Amino acid sequence: MAECSAEKGFIATAVEDVLARANVPRESFESHFNSTEDCASAAFNKLASEMLATLSIAQESAAAKGNPTVPIKAVLEMLAARPAFSHLGLIGFRQGGTRRMYEAYDSAARVLALMMERALQESGDPGPSYAHARAALGGAEALLRRELAAGRAATLPSLLPDFVYAALVPFVGQREALRQAIEAAGGAAEEDDGHRAT
Amino acid sequence: MDTGRREALLRAMLDELVAKGYRGLSVEAAIRAARVSLAEFEADFGSKDECLYAAYQSLADRFVARASARCDAAEPWPERVRTGLSALLEELAGEPRLALALTRAFPGIGPATYERYVDLLERFVPLMEEGRAYSEVEEELPGEVELLAVGAAEAIIFSEVDAGRAGRLPTMLPEILFSVLVPFMGPERAADEMRSAAAAT
Repeated sequence: MAECSAEKGFIATAVEDVLARANVPRESFESHFNSTEDCASAAFNKLASEMLATLSIAQESAAAKGNPTVPIKAVLEMLAARPAFSHLGLIGFRQGGTRRMYEAYDSAARVLALMMERALQESGDPGPSYAHARAALGGAEALLRRELAAGRAATLPSLLPDFVYAALVPFVGQREALRQAIEAAGGAAEEDDGHRAT
Repeated sequence: MDTGRREALLRAMLDELVAKGYRGLSVEAAIRAARVSLAEFEADFGSKDECLYAAYQSLADRFVARASARCDAAEPWPERVRTGLSALLEELAGEPRLALALTRAFPGIGPATYERYVDLLERFVPLMEEGRAYSEVEEELPGEVELLAVGAAEAIIFSEVDAGRAGRLPTMLPEILFSVLVPFMGPERAADEMRSAAAAT
C-alpha cells in the first residue's frame, strides 16, 4: 500500500495495485481491510507507533547522555529506513488523502509537538510553548517532505544538523542551536568514520 | 481564447477541483461556467490535466507575485518579510477556495502535482537568503535554513486554510512572522519583530 501510494499517489492507488504489489489474493486483503483508506490507515498507525516508540527510547537515552539531539537522529534514521511508509505518512496523509486521513496526521503532529514542548520543559528551558514547538516542527516537516518527495529518504540522516537547528533555535537561541547542530554533524561524521574503519 | 475567458476557465477548473476532487472534476462544468467551448478548451489545453497544471501555475505565480510586489527593496529585510507575508496572508484570506486549491486540492492529486507544490515553496527560498546577514552568530547557518523558515510559515498557513479559517490568517501575521524570522535572528529579536507587527495591526 505504502509503495503504491508513494509511486502513484493515494487517490490513484486501487486495491488491485496493492494486491499485485503484495502478491496476495483479494480475499486476504478483504479479510483485513474494507478499503484502500483502511489499509493506508493501518500503515500509518504502524509508522506512528514505531515513531513514538523510537522517540520514547531515544528520549531516555538523550536524558542519560545529556544530548537532546539523540531523538531527532533516531527518528531520521527510522524514516530513512522506511521510505514508502514515510512518504505515505508525511505526504499522503497530510495532503493526498481523505479528511479522516488528514485528521490522523494532524493528531500525530500535535502529539509530537506536545512531546517536544514537554521535553524542553523538562530540560529546564524557561520559555517553551506549544506554538513554538509546532513552528519548529513545521520547518522540519517541510524539509522532510521535500526529501521524501524527491525519493531521497536515504539522505535524511545527513541533514541531521539542519533538523537539530530547526528544532532547537526557537527555544535556545541561535548560538546554542548552532553549537548543537555542529556537534551533531561531528558525531555523524565520527560514526561514518567508525563504520568505514570496521 | 482571450485572456479574460482563459482566466475564467482556469479559475473554474480550480473551483471544480476544490468542490468535487480530482476524480469528480467535470471539465464540462468548468467550460460552461467560463463560457468557453469544448473546441476552444481542446485547442488551448488538450486535456483536463494540462488545464489543471496551467491553472495551478497561474495561481502560484499570482501568490508569489503578491508576496513580492509590495516589498520595497530599500526597507530592511525583516520589514520586507513582514510586508510580503502580510500581502500573502491577505490574498489567501480573500480567496479561501483558491487557498485550498493551492495547498491541498491540487498537490494532493499525486506525486507529479505534489512536486509542483514543493517547487512553489522553493520559490520563496531566495526571498529568505538575505536573512543570513541578520544572524547573531559568526558561523554559517545550516544550508537549509531558508526552507526551514518557509516551512514553518507553511505549516501554520496550511492548517488554518485546511480548517476553513483562511479568513483569520491576517490576524496571525505576528506569530507567522516570528516563525519565519527565528531561524535567522534568534527568538529574542524575532519576538521583537513579532511585537512590532502586532502593534501595527
